[in-house]
Amino acid sequence: MITQEQKESACSILCNQADSKIETHLNSCVRCGLCANSCMYYKVYRQAKYIPAAKVRLMSGLYRRYHTLEGRLLRGCVGACEINEDTVKEMVDLFFGSCTLCGRCVKHCSIGVDIPFLVRKGREMLSAMGLVPSSLQSTADAAIETGNSMAIAEHEFTDTIQWMEEELQDELEDTSVQIPLNQSGKQILYTLNPREPKFFPLSISAMAKIFHAANESWTLSSKYYDVTNYGYFCGNNEQAQKMVLNLNDEAKRMQVTRLVLGECGHGTRSTRWEGPNWLQSASPIDTLSAIELIKEYIQQGRIKLNKSIDRKVYTLHDPCNLVRNGGLLRELRYVVKHSVARFVEMRPCGSDNFCCGGGGGNLAMSEYNERRLEIGRIKADQIQKTGAQVVITPCHNCVDQLTQINHTYKLGVEIKTVAEIVANALIMK
Amino acid sequence: MASLEIDGKTFEVDGDGFLTDPSIWNDKTAQLFAESDGIAELTPNHWAVIRMIRSHFEENGNAPMVRALCKETGLKLKEIYELFPLGPARGACRVAGLPKPDGCV
Repeated sequence: MITQEQKESACSILCNQADSKIETHLNSCVRCGLCANSCMYYKVYRQAKYIPAAKVRLMSGLYRRYHTLEGRLLRGCVGACEINEDTVKEMVDLFFGSCTLCGRCVKHCSIGVDIPFLVRKGREMLSAMGLVPSSLQSTADAAIETGNSMAIAEHEFTDTIQWMEEELQDELEDTSVQIPLNQSGKQILYTLNPREPKFFPLSISAMAKIFHAANESWTLSSKYYDVTNYGYFCGNNEQAQKMVLNLNDEAKRMQVTRLVLGECGHGTRSTRWEGPNWLQSASPIDTLSAIELIKEYIQQGRIKLNKSIDRKVYTLHDPCNLVRNGGLLRELRYVVKHSVARFVEMRPCGSDNFCCGGGGGNLAMSEYNERRLEIGRIKADQIQKTGAQVVITPCHNCVDQLTQINHTYKLGVEIKTVAEIVANALIMK
Repeated sequence: MASLEIDGKTFEVDGDGFLTDPSIWNDKTAQLFAESDGIAELTPNHWAVIRMIRSHFEENGNAPMVRALCKETGLKLKEIYELFPLGPARGACRVAGLPKPDGCV
């Protein structure tokens, strides 16, 4: 049963003055259908409900019903759509369960309707009604309650970082290599995806190795280091805002000059590009992604790379939030091509690349696992056709989805982050 | 909720194939889940990892840090990744009958 109160809070999302973009985008779709084949869900399932324009139609039906006179009076005759249990089910299924917010449809839209923006508005409505899938919501709640989305205790984090530091010192036979923790007054505060300390810490030591080679002044924080932002996925702007604020405040508290975002697509998008909108103010600190920082190191000669060490064939998966939606296409290729000798692009690539299939929070929602792996077949085909042995991607969410695709479709490739391939090619002084 | 059938046995699992009720887990479950992940035989090293994850879960209600896993089993990180190709979360925790950890895993 959807209460009146739930309906009202959901409807208010659609008439927020600060989001006047909604009306334009809801009223512009001409149903040309060009978006259909851009969408992984439609390509795999061939069902009309998965066409991105159908998602726009649902949103505009809701808008029409509650915010236009003809919609209020004529209802169904003008395509207006009532919020009720059936609609809500459909909304959850379409906006959470069959959209990775990858934005490929926008690129193929004849007039540039920002479809994922509208899908995210749909998610905001569901969030206002308390109807976000629980697996996704619990991840966001953990971040709010504990400071990181995997609820890692501070001492466990500290212990892991010290361990990584020892391992790195052993590897380089150099006790001066450090993974600085909670050191104020450094240049950079570096952030991580919690899955790194929890399960996959080698990317932390890879980045530490790069910082060491560049003679960088940097630190991690044991309190706020989480670059992910599940508030963004949930459509909960209040939580999303809080997560960005945590990082900004921590950077201020640590008196650093730059906030560097670890390899995370949606986290970079949230903190760097969406954050200022949520907070209604410019970022208080110079915020950039690890990819841009590494590019800077290479360009300025702060690190030297020998790309001929490794003879494997590499390909690159473009995280949607960093490349199509974030514009880091050239920066990413600059770093990759300086780090590996044998590189082959997958097709399509760059801003037309397909999503890994696990974006938009889908990796966290078990109920859509089957669908996620099914659409991942497109990525599997792309990888297979390159003949590459290693897939590079600067996003831990993509890494996890690619690992599962690799296993499911028996691709026999390795999956690496950018820090890992750069660290591998480093010439240590 | 979904169900997973391995070797004629049916388990209630979430969409990711993690046991819905971790308390019904036993050694046989671990073997069956491992098989379905392509791990033909559980070696003593596999068992060391599984037992450690399991006891951590029973005590704390969550999955251990990979740091604790290495420390207590004496295995190297690389060895753990080799033992469970899907990684400590989707691989080892699932075989150990835990619920799926939250986050990008």
